[in-house]
Amino acid sequence: MKIDSDAIRELADLLNETGLTEVEVADGDKVIRVSKGTTVIAGGGVSGASMPSDPAVPQQASLDAPANVASSHPGAVKSPMVGTAYLQPEPDAPSFIKKGDTINAGDTLLIIEAMKVMNPIKAQTSGTVTQILIENGEPVEFGDVLLVIE
Amino acid sequence: MFKKVLIANRGEIALRIIRACREMGIETVVVHSTADASSMAVRLADESVCIGPPSGKDSYLNIPSILTAAALTGANAIHPGYGFLSENAQFARMVEEHGFTFIGPSADLIERMGDKVSAKQTVQELGLPVVPGSEGAVENAQSGLQTSIDMGFPVLIKAASGGGGKGMQVVRKAEDFVEAYNTARSEARSNFGDDTVYIEKYLEKPRHIEIQVFGDTHGNGIHLGERDCSIQRRHQKLVEEGPSPILSEEERDHIGRLAANTVRDLGYVGAGTIEFLYENGKFYFMEMNTRIQVEHPVTEMITGIDLIAEQLRVAAGEPLTIRKDRLRFRGHAIEIRINAEDPDTFVPSPGKITQFHAPGGLGVRFDSAVYSGYSIPPYYDSMIGKLIVHGRNRDECVKRLLRAIRETVIEGVKTTLPLHEWILKQPEFISGDYTIHWLENMLEEKASEEQ
Repeated sequence: MKIDSDAIRELADLLNETGLTEVEVADGDKVIRVSKGTTVIAGGGVSGASMPSDPAVPQQASLDAPANVASSHPGAVKSPMVGTAYLQPEPDAPSFIKKGDTINAGDTLLIIEAMKVMNPIKAQTSGTVTQILIENGEPVEFGDVLLVIE
Repeated sequence: MFKKVLIANRGEIALRIIRACREMGIETVVVHSTADASSMAVRLADESVCIGPPSGKDSYLNIPSILTAAALTGANAIHPGYGFLSENAQFARMVEEHGFTFIGPSADLIERMGDKVSAKQTVQELGLPVVPGSEGAVENAQSGLQTSIDMGFPVLIKAASGGGGKGMQVVRKAEDFVEAYNTARSEARSNFGDDTVYIEKYLEKPRHIEIQVFGDTHGNGIHLGERDCSIQRRHQKLVEEGPSPILSEEERDHIGRLAANTVRDLGYVGAGTIEFLYENGKFYFMEMNTRIQVEHPVTEMITGIDLIAEQLRVAAGEPLTIRKDRLRFRGHAIEIRINAEDPDTFVPSPGKITQFHAPGGLGVRFDSAVYSGYSIPPYYDSMIGKLIVHGRNRDECVKRLLRAIRETVIEGVKTTLPLHEWILKQPEFISGDYTIHWLENMLEEKASEEQ
């Protein structure tokens, strides 16, 4: 069997860029599936996963995770705490930032509220806001990617 | 009954609590640090919330983060497990103040029992036998010396805010007293921030025998028998068994009744363990732990009762399901704690478990959160799991445990399994004739023989 290493490499890059954990591509009866953290395989076959793929293992739910951007993305702004994210200083006020805004280090990007205390989250670097991955009032965990500044 | 419980812990105990909740139809949320993102507890819980970086202080000890996670997920109750915040009165208080039920006794009782001096005074007033000692704190070396002379040497100088065997000084002769006293005070100050010390008679060859107790909000208080935890190294338990190989029916009954009365008199709600030193037929109160303990499975195996489920029930205001008149002790159980450590030097050996196969068969229970491919993080304790075996009698239990150890596969890290196998084969263990100093003495002998 000829192994299409270019295709596999392309799929692996795609995984890293998008932060997805698994990608499967079918072309006729040829199937390639690439998953993060397990062996790369071509055709059918069982990956070397250590978790049983038994349907009794429930779907893991974490607090409505924000849309996936890899936390290793250089511009990712990650949540330093667990709480509720607010994009506006007050309910009817304008948002702190919008997609496309240029911001400076030290600017307030959003607020995370925990136990009735409002914690302003400030930019560590200057740049342009390219993605805002959370909605106003969304619960966030420690480490969640909130936005991307490039 | 609670609809959703948040588990503020990790590792095998988090998994244990998830299991009990699942069986009762309770939804589970587990909080975790980034280091535990692929732990078994996180994988199996209904929900998980990452609350911080690896350090305990920023995650499992981070009260605001835990309370926030509980609020965000709509949990009704919080189970603190053991260690971490389980005996932190401030945490218990805040949990309740924020509208959640703390699965454990009241903050006041946690506080009272957490201070070793006040705990001793409290139980003494309730009729529990205590180690003879100073009446409360010892303010100066002279009064301490006099107390020691009156009691008789050897004596033990202990820190009131201490624990884990730290800051204790054994004094065998009057002329050594003053220096030991001063050392104890300064060590207490640097280790616990409080240099208050008290003195107790030092028992030369005691056993550590603890009684599992339970109380509810309906005034009931019971005991569930003892666990003998004398096999220790540096005050850390390695092997626990129940019943104790040396207690008689009468002794068990007597100390059990005293323990149950204490629970009732205190108005204690939840699981607790009253630890005693036992020497020459006499019990001496050491301390009370106001939480579920690591070795709780030993009691579960000989009584058939799910102690975590019982914790959830009494916390929800239900009466104890355990009826004193229907409590039966069946057979014998032994637990060994398997740590990721070198079995000779005890140096921790964190890392990836490349192959794992748990033992099984009749009467074999393995409480562990590891799996093949799991990496033991270096930030927390080195426990891999607890192997608990039940048999119809002690002899069958030991044979079964040796069999189970032989078929346990844990590769990739060093484990203390070889040490456990060695302990179980020693004549003193087999005869049941061991004290809290036995293991350390044996290890010293073993080390000098090998040299």
